[in-house]
Amino acid sequence: MKIVVGIKQVPQADSVKIDPQTNNLIRSGIQGVINPFDKNAIEAALRLRAQAGGEVILLSMGPDSYVTSLRDGLAMDADQAVLVSSRALGGADTLATGYTLAKAIEAIGDVDLVLLGRQSVDADTGQVGPIVAAYLGLPQVTFAESISLESANTIIAKRQLDTVIQDIKVTTPAVITVRSELNRPRYETPVNIKQSFDKAVTVWSETDLNLDPEQIGQAGSPTKVTSVYAPEKKGRQTTTLPTDPTQAVVELLNKLN
Amino acid sequence: MTVIEDQNRMLIQMVKEFTANELAPLDMEIDQKGDYPAGLFQRVIDNGLLKITLPSQYGGAGFDYTAAADALNKMAIGNASMAVTLEGHFKTIEQFTKYGQPSLNDKYLPSAGHRIFAFSMTEPSGGSNPKGISTRAVKQGDNWVITGDKIMITNGGLAEVYCILSKTEDDQMAVFVVDKDMPGFQFGKREDFIGLRGTPVGEVVLDHVVVPADHLLGKVGQGLEIGDNAHADARVLMGAILAGIIEHELGIAINYSKERKALTTPLYQLQVIQEKIADIAIARQNTRALYQKGAQQKVANQLYAETAAMAKSYGSRAAVRSGDEALQVLGGYGYSREYPVEHLIRDARAMELAEGTIEKMNLEITNAEIAK
Repeated sequence: MKIVVGIKQVPQADSVKIDPQTNNLIRSGIQGVINPFDKNAIEAALRLRAQAGGEVILLSMGPDSYVTSLRDGLAMDADQAVLVSSRALGGADTLATGYTLAKAIEAIGDVDLVLLGRQSVDADTGQVGPIVAAYLGLPQVTFAESISLESANTIIAKRQLDTVIQDIKVTTPAVITVRSELNRPRYETPVNIKQSFDKAVTVWSETDLNLDPEQIGQAGSPTKVTSVYAPEKKGRQTTTLPTDPTQAVVELLNKLN
Repeated sequence: MTVIEDQNRMLIQMVKEFTANELAPLDMEIDQKGDYPAGLFQRVIDNGLLKITLPSQYGGAGFDYTAAADALNKMAIGNASMAVTLEGHFKTIEQFTKYGQPSLNDKYLPSAGHRIFAFSMTEPSGGSNPKGISTRAVKQGDNWVITGDKIMITNGGLAEVYCILSKTEDDQMAVFVVDKDMPGFQFGKREDFIGLRGTPVGEVVLDHVVVPADHLLGKVGQGLEIGDNAHADARVLMGAILAGIIEHELGIAINYSKERKALTTPLYQLQVIQEKIADIAIARQNTRALYQKGAQQKVANQLYAETAAMAKSYGSRAAVRSGDEALQVLGGYGYSREYPVEHLIRDARAMELAEGTIEKMNLEITNAEIAK
């Protein structure tokens, strides 16, 4: 089974700050890490590989510095990694990112399964997985919290929504986005860390993939971010109810009404 | 960043994550129960932590001593006992790679990724004076027959392979590799120590244990040299662990001093508290500088025994004193078993004794300085 796992590098959660002047995320000097949901996707891929054989290929789009996160994924025991990287890809929104990743997956070729985290923790859109599926013309399951291999080309994915639980049978090739409930990602190990540096990280540019210049980077991104800001902190109001239970209940009911 | 720096960064990050998730939440429980909870040590093995320094030809990761020391430093911030368990293993592997014959290493080191190795010198008659040991190795044909009693072995009972310092018939010192499954090998009692209570420290009794001739580590007559080398290797790592304990003490003192107020003023804004926090921070930094220097000297094949002794001598005193300062910042809470400061003091106190007392360290440091 040839599995591609899409991963994104995000700032370490406890180090994210917003520049009050520009309202943008301060990214400089912050160690990037694999988006946590994507680690669940890597773990799922490694378990499927253990069951069905094959290989796990990590795929990301971003600057050279993203290699450190791909290396982290390789140290979890993925087989190889691909980074699509070029200045022309900068400023991509979810549509342009989805297009670029889909083209890379086509270039990798003969992919049975594409796994991604359900969303990134820095942008929270949850759109890239479905967009990749749409570009590839593949069936998709989003928000999977369990994945099991029913046969060589059939997967059953369970997704829990607000009011229903769905068991979805999907034939491969397919795209699945996963929740954190799916598994507990393994640690990198000291030996795998060393060996990750012997594994291939292929870097492709927009020309390697023959990408349409109108569909990548800022040119291919209809989303325009006008500002990013931290929600205003609202002070909590505290009311002390009367000590007499009857009066307290009456007052509480009045407030709730 | 070079490839090695990048690999070391990843190792440190991995150890930090493992410690935060698997060890730190159990730190108090390990101290209170005086043992590792079931399954914890297996998770250490399963995640490859015994393989950090093991050379790659034996299935290990082959990280150098600077990386190993930094890794144990981070682990000790969450739990010093497990860091000491790994220290005992790493220092023993170092003696195999430095002194072991290829046939011995080929036989034993592939299992060092899942079996703990221990180094044993101390006997009931004494610890810091190995010349007075009574364990005997008698040559019989192609074998050695070893009889003796070894105590206070770091990981004694948990380890499966033991390097035993012995005297031969002609009163020469030698180190032999003994497997726990050999006939005549028996575990004795486990010490009930007041600190580092997760780390098993125990006794091994050898009653005419027959070991093949190729289980001799190094040569007959090299025993003391190997023992001294093992001490120096251990002391570098202990410096790293002590810097981790001080870091833990510092974190507790800082957090408490931010939360606790004297009337309306947070404690950390009071000068008397600031002095304590500054002293602990300086101790952390000094201990870190000493162990890292020792590790760098070892990796660069320079003399490092004196720096290693300094790291342990200074670091153990500093960690006990810093724990006492942190306890004072917390006041009555610091004296309570509900807070970890008191057990950190007990943990640090162990390292004023283990691998040679502070007095022994200072003697060695003085001798080295006078000889310069």
